[in-house]
Amino acid sequence: MSKRSVIDLLKWLAIFAVLIVLLFPIFWIIASSLKARGEFFTRPPVWVPANPDWLNYPDSLRRGGMKGLIDSFTIAFFSMAISVVLGAPAAYAIARFQVGKKNLAFWILSIRMFPPIATILPLFVIFRFVGLVDSYAGLVLCYTVFNLPFAIWILKGFIEELPREIEEAAKVDGATRFQIFRNIALPLTAPGLVVVALFTFIFAWNDFAYAVIFSGSNVTPLPVVIAQFAGGHEILWGQISAIALIAILPALVLATFLQKYLTRGLTMGAVK
Amino acid sequence: MDRSQHHERTFARLMVGPAVALLFLMTIGPLLFSLVVSFTNLQFSTPQPMRWVGLDNYLTLLFNDSRFLTALGRTLGFVLAGVAVQTLFGYFIAWLLLHVNRFRAFVLGPILIPSVISSVVAGWQGRMIFNASYGPLNDVLAHVGVKGPAWLALPQTALLSVFITDTWQWTPFLALVILAALQSQPQELLEAARLDGAHGWSMFRRITLPLVLPVAGVGILLRGVDLFKTFDLVYILTQGGPGNSSETLTFLTYLQGFKFFNPSYASAMSFIQLLLVTIMAKSYLGLVNRRGAH
Repeated sequence: MSKRSVIDLLKWLAIFAVLIVLLFPIFWIIASSLKARGEFFTRPPVWVPANPDWLNYPDSLRRGGMKGLIDSFTIAFFSMAISVVLGAPAAYAIARFQVGKKNLAFWILSIRMFPPIATILPLFVIFRFVGLVDSYAGLVLCYTVFNLPFAIWILKGFIEELPREIEEAAKVDGATRFQIFRNIALPLTAPGLVVVALFTFIFAWNDFAYAVIFSGSNVTPLPVVIAQFAGGHEILWGQISAIALIAILPALVLATFLQKYLTRGLTMGAVK
Repeated sequence: MDRSQHHERTFARLMVGPAVALLFLMTIGPLLFSLVVSFTNLQFSTPQPMRWVGLDNYLTLLFNDSRFLTALGRTLGFVLAGVAVQTLFGYFIAWLLLHVNRFRAFVLGPILIPSVISSVVAGWQGRMIFNASYGPLNDVLAHVGVKGPAWLALPQTALLSVFITDTWQWTPFLALVILAALQSQPQELLEAARLDGAHGWSMFRRITLPLVLPVAGVGILLRGVDLFKTFDLVYILTQGGPGNSSETLTFLTYLQGFKFFNPSYASAMSFIQLLLVTIMAKSYLGLVNRRGAH
C-alpha cells in the first residue's frame, strides 16, 4: 500500500471513531427506550435488549408525554409564525433601506447574545402581574423575542444576495413598494424563509430555560415533562428514553434535510 | 428631501416597526425594571419594607459572597476550557472531513445530530451514561481495568461530567464552522505559499490561521457566550451539586431568583453577567478583527 492510501485509511478510521463517540448516546437512548423494567438494573448493563419492549412509548405518552408534545408543537408553531411574519418585513427594510443604520442591526443581534436569565427574572414578575405565567401566549412571546433577531439576521443575509434589478424594474412599471416586497422579494427569499421557519421552530421546541420557569400545571412543554420525569422519586428509565427519542425527531429531520443551511442557521448567517 | 425619499423612509419604518416595538418592549423594558430592582432590597422570603439600597447588592456580591465568586471563577474556567477543548476537537474533525470529498455529505449529517437536539435530552443521556452502577461508561472502563467513579455524585467529577456532555453536544457545531472556514481559503494563496516553501506549522500559523480565524471566530464567540450561560445541563445532570461543586453562574442566579426568592440580589447578579458577556464579546471581536486584518 502506498503511503497516501495508508493515511487515507487512518483518516477514515478516525472518522468512524468520531461517529461512534457522537452517535453512541443516541444509540443508548434507542436501546433504553426498548428495555423492560428489569433490564435497567443489571451489571454489566444490557446493551441490546433481548425482547424489545415497545410499551414504553404508549406509556410515556399516557403519562404526560402527549400533552407535552401538543404543547411544545403549539408554542413552537406560533413562535415560528410570528417570527416569520414580523421578521421578513423588518429584514427587508434593513437590507434594502438601511433603516436605523448599523446600530439597529447590531442591537437586534445583541439581543440574541443576552444571557436569558437577565430578562427571565423581570419578565417573570411582569408576566405574573398580567397573568401570562403558565400560558401559551407567555412562552410564545419569550421565544419570539429569542427567534425574531435570528429571523431578521438570516433573512437580511438572503435579501442582500438578491439582485436589485428585478425590484428596480418593477418600480419603473409602477408597482408600490409593498407590492415589490410581497410579490417579488418574498417569493425569491423562499429558501431563507424555510431555513428561518425550521430553525425558529426547533429553537422553541428544544428550549428548556424559559420553559421550566414560565410553565406550570396548564402548559407543560416536552423538555419540562422530561425533566420532571427525570427528577422524580421513581425514575422511569424506559419511558423517559422513549419520550426523549420522540423529542429529538424534528431535530433529526433538520440535520438530515437542511444540512446545507445548518452552518448558516447555527451561526446566525455569519458563516455561509 | 424629495417626496419619493420621504415615502421610502416611512415605508421602511412601517416595515421594521412591529418587530422593533416587540423586541424593545420585551428586552429594554424588563432590563430597566430589573436594573431598578437591583438597587433595592426586594425579596419575597421574609416580609420587609422595600428600600433603596444603592450599590449594596453589587458590593456584597463582589466582596462578600464567596459562593458567587466561586461560581464566577468556575464559570470562567468552564468557558475557557470549553472553548479551547471544543475548538481543538472541532478543528480535528473539520480537518478529517476536509480530506474526504466523496462521502462528506453522508458523514456530516450524523456528525451534526448532537448540536441540533434538545439539551434536556443530552442531559438525560448523560444521566444514563454516567450512572455509576448501571451505566455503559463505567462498564467500558471496567473492561479495560479501570474502576470508574460515581461521576455525577462526586464533587471532583460532577462538573467534569457536565463539561463532557457539553463538549459532546457542541464540538460538531464548531467542526462545521471550522470546516466552512477551511473550505473558504483561496486555493491559489495556499498554492503560492507552498511554492514559497511554507509547510506544516509555518503554513498553519501564517496562512491557515489568519484566514480561518475571522470566519471561525464568529462560531467560537457564539460558543463562548453560550458556555457562559450554561444552565440546562447543570439543571438536569447535577442541580449544581454535590454541595455547590458544579454550580454555574446562571444556575446560581436561578436559585437566588426562583428558589431563594431574592429578586433584587439575583438582578444584580444578572447585570454583572450581562456586563461580562458584553466585555467578552467585544474584546473577542476586536481580537479576531485585528488578526484578520494582517
